[in-house]
Amino acid sequence: MRSFGYARAGSLAEAIAARAAGATPIAGGTNLIDLMKLDVARPDRLLDLNGLDLRGIEIGPEGARIGALVSNADLAAHQQIAARYPLLASALLAGATGQLRNAATTGGNLMQRTRCYYFNEADTPCNKRSPGAGCVAIGGVTRIHAILGASEHCIAVHPSDMCVALAALDAQVIAEGPAGERAIPASAFHRLPGDTPERDNTLGDDEIITAVTLPAEGFADHYSYLKLRDRLSYAFALVSVAAALRIEDGRIAEARLALGGVAHKPWRDQEAEAALIGREPTRAAFADAAAIVLAPARAQGSGPEGNAFKIDLARRAIIRAFDQAARRTPQSQTHKQVA
Amino acid sequence: MISIVLNGRAVTAPATPGQCLRTFLRAQGCNGVKRGCDAGDCGACTVLVDGAAVQSCVMPAFRAEGHAVTTIEGLAEGGELCPLQQQFIDSGAFQCGYCTPGMILTIAGFDAVQAADPARALKSNICRCTGYAPIADALDGIARCDDRVGIGASTPPPAACGVVSGTVRYAMDAPPDGLLHARLRRSPHASARILHIDRAAALAIDGVRLILTHEDVPHFPYSTGRHENFRDDPEDTLIFDPLIRFAGQRVAAVIADTAAIAEAACAALDITYEVLPALLDPTAVQDEGAPQLHAHAPRNVAARVQGQVGPHATIDEVLAGAAHVVDRTYTTQRLHHASLETHAGIAWLERDAAGEDSLVIRSSTQVPFLTRDTLARMLQMPRERIRVFCDRVGGGFGGKQELIVEDIIALATLRLGRPVALEYTREEAFTGASTRHPMQIRVRMGADAQGRLLGLAMDVLAETGAYGNHAPGVLHHGCNESMIVYNCPSKFVDGVSVYANTPPSGAFRGYGLSQTIFAVESAMDELAIASGIDPWRLREINMIRPGDPMISHHDTPHDVTFGSYGLDQCLVLARDALDRAQTPELGDGDWHLGDGMAIALIDTAPPRGHYAHAAVTLREDGGVDLDVGTAEFGNGSVTTHVQLVATTLGIEPTRIRVRHGDTEAVAHDTGAYGSAGIVIAGLACHRAALALKAEMEAFAADHQLGTDPGAIAARAASRGRTLSGSGYSDGSPRSVAFNVQAFRVAVNRDSGEWRIVASIQAADAGVVLNPMQCRGQIEGGVAQAIGGALMEEVRIDGAGRIANPSFRSYHVPRMADLPRTEVLFADTYDTTGPLGAKSMSESPFNPVAPALANAIARAAGVRPRSLPMRADRIWAAIREQSGEMSR
Repeated sequence: MRSFGYARAGSLAEAIAARAAGATPIAGGTNLIDLMKLDVARPDRLLDLNGLDLRGIEIGPEGARIGALVSNADLAAHQQIAARYPLLASALLAGATGQLRNAATTGGNLMQRTRCYYFNEADTPCNKRSPGAGCVAIGGVTRIHAILGASEHCIAVHPSDMCVALAALDAQVIAEGPAGERAIPASAFHRLPGDTPERDNTLGDDEIITAVTLPAEGFADHYSYLKLRDRLSYAFALVSVAAALRIEDGRIAEARLALGGVAHKPWRDQEAEAALIGREPTRAAFADAAAIVLAPARAQGSGPEGNAFKIDLARRAIIRAFDQAARRTPQSQTHKQVA
Repeated sequence: MISIVLNGRAVTAPATPGQCLRTFLRAQGCNGVKRGCDAGDCGACTVLVDGAAVQSCVMPAFRAEGHAVTTIEGLAEGGELCPLQQQFIDSGAFQCGYCTPGMILTIAGFDAVQAADPARALKSNICRCTGYAPIADALDGIARCDDRVGIGASTPPPAACGVVSGTVRYAMDAPPDGLLHARLRRSPHASARILHIDRAAALAIDGVRLILTHEDVPHFPYSTGRHENFRDDPEDTLIFDPLIRFAGQRVAAVIADTAAIAEAACAALDITYEVLPALLDPTAVQDEGAPQLHAHAPRNVAARVQGQVGPHATIDEVLAGAAHVVDRTYTTQRLHHASLETHAGIAWLERDAAGEDSLVIRSSTQVPFLTRDTLARMLQMPRERIRVFCDRVGGGFGGKQELIVEDIIALATLRLGRPVALEYTREEAFTGASTRHPMQIRVRMGADAQGRLLGLAMDVLAETGAYGNHAPGVLHHGCNESMIVYNCPSKFVDGVSVYANTPPSGAFRGYGLSQTIFAVESAMDELAIASGIDPWRLREINMIRPGDPMISHHDTPHDVTFGSYGLDQCLVLARDALDRAQTPELGDGDWHLGDGMAIALIDTAPPRGHYAHAAVTLREDGGVDLDVGTAEFGNGSVTTHVQLVATTLGIEPTRIRVRHGDTEAVAHDTGAYGSAGIVIAGLACHRAALALKAEMEAFAADHQLGTDPGAIAARAASRGRTLSGSGYSDGSPRSVAFNVQAFRVAVNRDSGEWRIVASIQAADAGVVLNPMQCRGQIEGGVAQAIGGALMEEVRIDGAGRIANPSFRSYHVPRMADLPRTEVLFADTYDTTGPLGAKSMSESPFNPVAPALANAIARAAGVRPRSLPMRADRIWAAIREQSGEMSR
């Protein structure tokens, strides 16, 4: 590991100033420390946020506010979160492990980097790591790569489960910088690679995430987080689906759909959601929504190591997750046998 | 400086910038905090921070400032094991024990929700040895040990307390003072020539002590693979070779004051390569005109085995006259051993009274004696001046039958006169060690209308990768027992193992058989379907029985006998258990059930000599010292050695003190491979105990004493006599052991998902010396094989590099991924093994993949012929068969 400076932030203002001066924030460190060991992340200075008072969870009639330093474990176990926003709790429990969730934070989860094999190997060309170097994932082993929104410069996907649920729930990421506080819609927080894949998200270089807020509607009646992976435990999603519905008089009044494991960001498709409004919650309706989402999908590579299978996998996962949501049989993160 | 409360004690100690909590805690003497992956993927380094479990490898040390940290050393209160630690012993919930401290602490940190669902809560932790079933039993308070002693008793290992309390020493624990650290620079290119190494920038880094490249070390061709006869493996490897043959090959070593400095200096080496075309296709490497990787190997052939027996000239002749024919090709992938302790070692010098230095090496090796002998040749030192030993080894599975760290630390220590350590990272364990040989296996078989085999042919293309370590052995072994198990008049084998610019393959549990048995047993199932004969019946018709000749593809004499035979019992046991198995509700979806089975035969020991010595000495206090050469890497051989000696001498196992895995212990020991722990080393121990028993009886008779060892010891001491016995085994004659695996699976034909509904293995291990341990070996072998059959695969990309060198991307099964396996034993007594026992360590792995494939084939309606049988592959095959095209 390379040498670097380390400082504890005593206040938010101090943290913002240090960040603006180029320091790299660290909270749980479960991703950053790993990347530093791999020589993928090479921060000059670490800025330890753990002393900041950002650990609160407030829930009221108008929604919820989750401090950026709340651990993934505490958030998932929070009774009111689990009751009001079970989609979020379910997604959290689908990710990582008990030990990691004890250490990892809400803000850190938003900032976690791709698990692309090639990004995580410091001596291979990677446009995300060193812009302009090229991408060897394209033409490489692409099983875990994007089918939506990829560019000729980067086909990596965002690995988070939590962020998929946040995107579906219309959460907002609260960031504070020298110009004050602003709210970024979760679905606009992460971005597509385009020709600047080095940028994962839209957080300013001088901003600190302070909280995540959730609107009042938590879709607690009809939701499912379905994560499909190569084995039952401890694997990143090949495809994951956050599905939520509001059903009135047997028809869909509101629908939410976000996909994980398929794009550089949690993939939300409001056109597909709109197409469900007014329809009965049938597999046929869900199949139509899936077709809209996946119309632009493109496979990377061919054969057993390519990812063509993920397109059909995503289609079926969307239908299944919506069906689970409609029938009030959300995917269990405990008994992962898929019905 | 940071201050924490460590195991109830206030500690203030320096933390270096960037230090993670794991290394900080180890620097405080907490050796029970293990390194498995250093990336938060395996759980071996788990500790409690304020009572919550965290992985200390991804937690910055400074985050623990002001907090209470509990390590395994702090769990026992007042020297008493906590109930969970005791339960781990009673349930046999560890083998190598490397994961155990982290496993116990993870469980100790459970909240009520996690405690109710341990399979999910333990997805953070890898155990490669046990298959998790005994860990689940420990959580449920189900004991597997018993209070009896002697043969057939489930005695816990002698090291049990040390394992669960974190005090047993592995290669990197309790290092000597003044330790220097080595790191290796590896080639990013699969094929290249080193033109120049500029070391100026590296040498300029403060703390760098030595740089070793091909310009600095002896030109000594050897093989990293270790066998009794060192010429078994082609001597095609150099310590550092200016010609690069795989991505990951070592290019230079840097020895420095800290591992971080050594790593930085490795990165600072400026290396100029001439990049050459890489040969990655095992078929194309044999083409005429293809570049040759090694001068001694035209067409890149590292090993070849060819032979035929029987009345037919060709297999085509057999097939032409057969009622039922199978001709299929099966493919097996690269597997990573994933022993939780990576390859590691520490070397230092010890000066004797005469002022002469000896080289001492403690390493994670399965073969201390063979490592010493090769180092003696490499370094041109007398063997007596080199001691190689291991305390406890954190898993091996064949991966540590290699010499890949000891040469570097030996050279560096001799040059610098100071202790030097080299510990592989997890990534290096993938890229810089060996894997299972990938194979393409074509099986052709023909049978008459009654299902009797007329001819069996196997064509094998094995890929040894860049170097030939284990290439001949794996190929020969793979083509041997897989063919012997069936009676058949005509047999044909044509196998080749080829070089390619890929990471070297090596010894892996099963030693070639897991691949070929997958092919032969899958083909037998295809024959069963083609002929309409029940697959169990088809085995009964054709399987070898006592009195039948054991013939693979040649009829040269050998030393394998039917020491005992239990294949028939195993078939009945497994079939009855499968019939009894309950089938759960499958839920919605297009689920179909399928049953599958497969059989496996294995010789109980390696051929052509495998030697063990043991010595047993009566101590003055009436206890016994046992010296045995073989290493303990979780296989439990030492436990059975103690049982054999204790039973023979009639003393308590706790009175026996064992020294093992040490070139100073005995004259010679070939090592812990080829399933030799019980049948060879165990036989030597038993013979040594018998010799001591005779000594004691004679002494007692001379001195009018009874049989009490304490009285005999006291009298002997007072007369200045030391009573001892020695034992020796040369590994011949050998016997055969059997395993039958049965599965019931459910496959969702709509999605390709599978679920294992029932898993059963019946084994003929002769007399089972220790049921808890033997069951653990089988459960663990089945678990490892399920991983290899369904999810594990080392992926090589188009540039010849491993794309998934981490536990995050290489999927070792976790507790939630595995079924319970019911283990059943045949009742036989082997005439060649100690007290009727046979080996049972590699073989449980071998029938698992084909039994699973056979079950999936019947449930899915399509047959997987390629491993791993991932759900998307099954799904694609179902789609292809039904004529649907994927978009």
